[in-house]
Amino acid sequence: MDMDMARDALVQESRELLSAMEAALLQIEDSGADSEAINAIFRAAHTIKGSAGLFAFNRIVSFTHIVESVLDRVRNGVLPIDNAMLSLLLNCGDYIAQLVDAIAARLEEVEPDPVRRAELEAQLNQLLDEQDTAPTHSAPAAAAVTHTAQEPTVSEDPVASPYWHLSLRFSADVLRMGLDPLSFLQYLGNVGTLLNLQTLPEGLPPLAQLDPEQAYIGFELDLQSEQDRAAIDGVFDFIRDDASILILPPHASMREYRALLAARNDPQMLAALLAQGTLTADEAARALLPEQETVEAVSVVAPVAAIEPAMKLPANAPRGDEKKGGYEQKFIKIEVSKLDQLIDLVGELVIAGAGASLIANRRKDSQFEEAVQSIAELVEHIRDAALNLRMVPIGEVFQRFPRVVRDISHELGKEIDLVVTGADTELDKSMVERLSDPLMHIVRNAMDHGIEATDARLAAGKPLAGTLRLNAYHESGSIVIEVSDDGRGLNKARILAKAIERGLVSAEQVLSEREVFRLIFEAGFSTAEQVTNLSGRGVGMDVVKKNIESLRGEVEIVSTEGAGTTVRIRLPLTLAIIDGFQVMVNESVFVIPLDLVIECIDLAGLDGHHDIVKLRGEPLPFIRLRELFELPALEHGRESLVVVQFGQQRAGLVVDRLLGEFQAVIKPLGELFSRIKSISGSTILGDGRVALILDVANLVHQAVQQQATTQNGKAATGLVSPQKSNG
Amino acid sequence: MAKTILIVDDSFSLRQTLGIALKGAGYDVVEAVDGKDALAKLDGRKFNLIISDVNMPNMDGISFVKAAKLLPAYKFTPIIMLTTEGDEAKKAEGRAAGVRAWVIKPFQPPVLLDAVSKLIMA
Repeated sequence: MDMDMARDALVQESRELLSAMEAALLQIEDSGADSEAINAIFRAAHTIKGSAGLFAFNRIVSFTHIVESVLDRVRNGVLPIDNAMLSLLLNCGDYIAQLVDAIAARLEEVEPDPVRRAELEAQLNQLLDEQDTAPTHSAPAAAAVTHTAQEPTVSEDPVASPYWHLSLRFSADVLRMGLDPLSFLQYLGNVGTLLNLQTLPEGLPPLAQLDPEQAYIGFELDLQSEQDRAAIDGVFDFIRDDASILILPPHASMREYRALLAARNDPQMLAALLAQGTLTADEAARALLPEQETVEAVSVVAPVAAIEPAMKLPANAPRGDEKKGGYEQKFIKIEVSKLDQLIDLVGELVIAGAGASLIANRRKDSQFEEAVQSIAELVEHIRDAALNLRMVPIGEVFQRFPRVVRDISHELGKEIDLVVTGADTELDKSMVERLSDPLMHIVRNAMDHGIEATDARLAAGKPLAGTLRLNAYHESGSIVIEVSDDGRGLNKARILAKAIERGLVSAEQVLSEREVFRLIFEAGFSTAEQVTNLSGRGVGMDVVKKNIESLRGEVEIVSTEGAGTTVRIRLPLTLAIIDGFQVMVNESVFVIPLDLVIECIDLAGLDGHHDIVKLRGEPLPFIRLRELFELPALEHGRESLVVVQFGQQRAGLVVDRLLGEFQAVIKPLGELFSRIKSISGSTILGDGRVALILDVANLVHQAVQQQATTQNGKAATGLVSPQKSNG
Repeated sequence: MAKTILIVDDSFSLRQTLGIALKGAGYDVVEAVDGKDALAKLDGRKFNLIISDVNMPNMDGISFVKAAKLLPAYKFTPIIMLTTEGDEAKKAEGRAAGVRAWVIKPFQPPVLLDAVSKLIMA
């Protein structure tokens, strides 16, 4: 086995366990101790210790060992899990993370933080000592707890089966090593009586691909034996390296069976256990559920007899109890570069497909066209599926925040509750990474400047604890992420005064509320009177805005003074391929993201003045792309209006011809074009020509601004009506 | 039909002791004095299991196993190697050649019989 790969796997696994541990600790802090959460923490420490031990990473082993000892006492109710304990354990988690980082950096020989280690060890040992020096003060209860902990199989939710259970899987090469699984089964007869043997053809390929020299099957069997574990285990001495052998004792706990199912991760496995009678129907049903799952869920599974339900449900089985962070990775891991390569290829496929369909159209060969059409449909599905591979729940970003909010609120001496919603909203993986920092900044800002100090809140008649909300949802081809607080809100006058002082606007300018709030994103703008180490360093919101814009997104602020502020980030769902709508101005083709197109209308039929047209009684600002891009006018002069919407605002784009839908593979524009506001990228058409993709967000802003100046210029005309609302 | 086992060892006394034990357990036994002799004896016959020493003159046990594994008829044949305590380098070499079963010398015959019965069906 490749040691580097094994090491990477260890690092990865440890990090996942640490974040599970952190989540469980925060859950306890939030909603009180529950045994499942405590078990999860214990398991995390235990597993990290075990894996590190395989590699002889002794720094981790010795430290996690102490942590584990403390956790063991917590689990047994001997030590209380109070705030001090939670903080200590969180710190231990952080320190273990440092050790894991050191392993990742191949620096496991170096102590990353000796001071911290000494402090933590002292605290942990103190807890252990205290407990040791006062051994019998609450004799009966404590003794009982400790006793049962030593024999977990007797006390914890045992299964009915009185037999040993053996789960055997063999490596494909086992036969070539001169090892015949059957002879080991036969030998098992020497230590006990084989009962209930099930053969699992889990990896059995179709006959054509079957290599008769390889082993594909696994066994689940029950063994009636008076021997001890060592004797049963000893049977497999020779085959241990070429097989995975898991042995559960008689009356093993449900937890052990769940762990077994999770380890095997085989959909047929539970059915096999059920069929051979190792587990009863009820036990099998419970094995499918995380331990604290609701009764409702049990009742769905339990009444259905025998094998059927198990065959349907095992997809859930491996989730067992180890990982239930909702979006924890229990999938295969793929290098991102491989995905990117796939998406690139799909992009090329889309372009090539468009080329083929163009030729098919010219040939006027209906069979050819039909064939190309069905290929195009498949390509579209492939495109969607490929893009979907990169979609991850935004929860990946959100999950950092409970800890962040906890730590910062302690630091600030404010009480702040975090409410996260929409964590399963998906977005492109590449955005997740780049979203993390801006979000962190916004959250810190909200906690630092938004939410008031406790006394100010009381004075304002607000609840003592401030609330910070993280929310995400999809809206017409975009993902919207909101960070809202119920703090003091933005002070328009103060922002304006500051902006004038900084020379960002002149004193005479009349600005709408939206425009005033937008000033916050100007470089160098910071209203914090008190500069803390969290925010208010003058770099910040402008960087946030830049980051978001580099993702083709937009950020806006909605705020009510005294009641709170919402920062709303709107991002496209993907950065790679979009459904586009092609339009033509003069001889140039432009692409508008289809999701943003509301409707297309013949401009000639509309009643309009200057840059505003009246559409169904509502004023709609519009931009003539021909004027914008300074293209020569055409003679025929029949123009169309494409109505686009970004966020809550609409505008019209006037074009010469509508060409229809088209899949656009986005190619970034070079540095040279980075200052061109109205263009967000380019794409290649089926015939090889380049088309520019319009930056609709920017165009809509331009149009709306134009409308505002036009309105300021003249008195309100009949065209002006109150802000329309639309959804 | 009784299973046939090939014993490869340069020590006569060991071959003899093993032969007695294995025959007593119902196996047929063929003996070879070193790797070269053993390779010659593989030809035209089918052994169900091979027990081989590591250190032997002419051809050592590891080379013999490597050569035997190349023969189609012996691709899947279980092999037990007899080794001395602490000979980790040889053991690693043997592992690479596909040996999984090791019995450490000196051993009591029941230990070896036990190992044999794990590897082949009665």
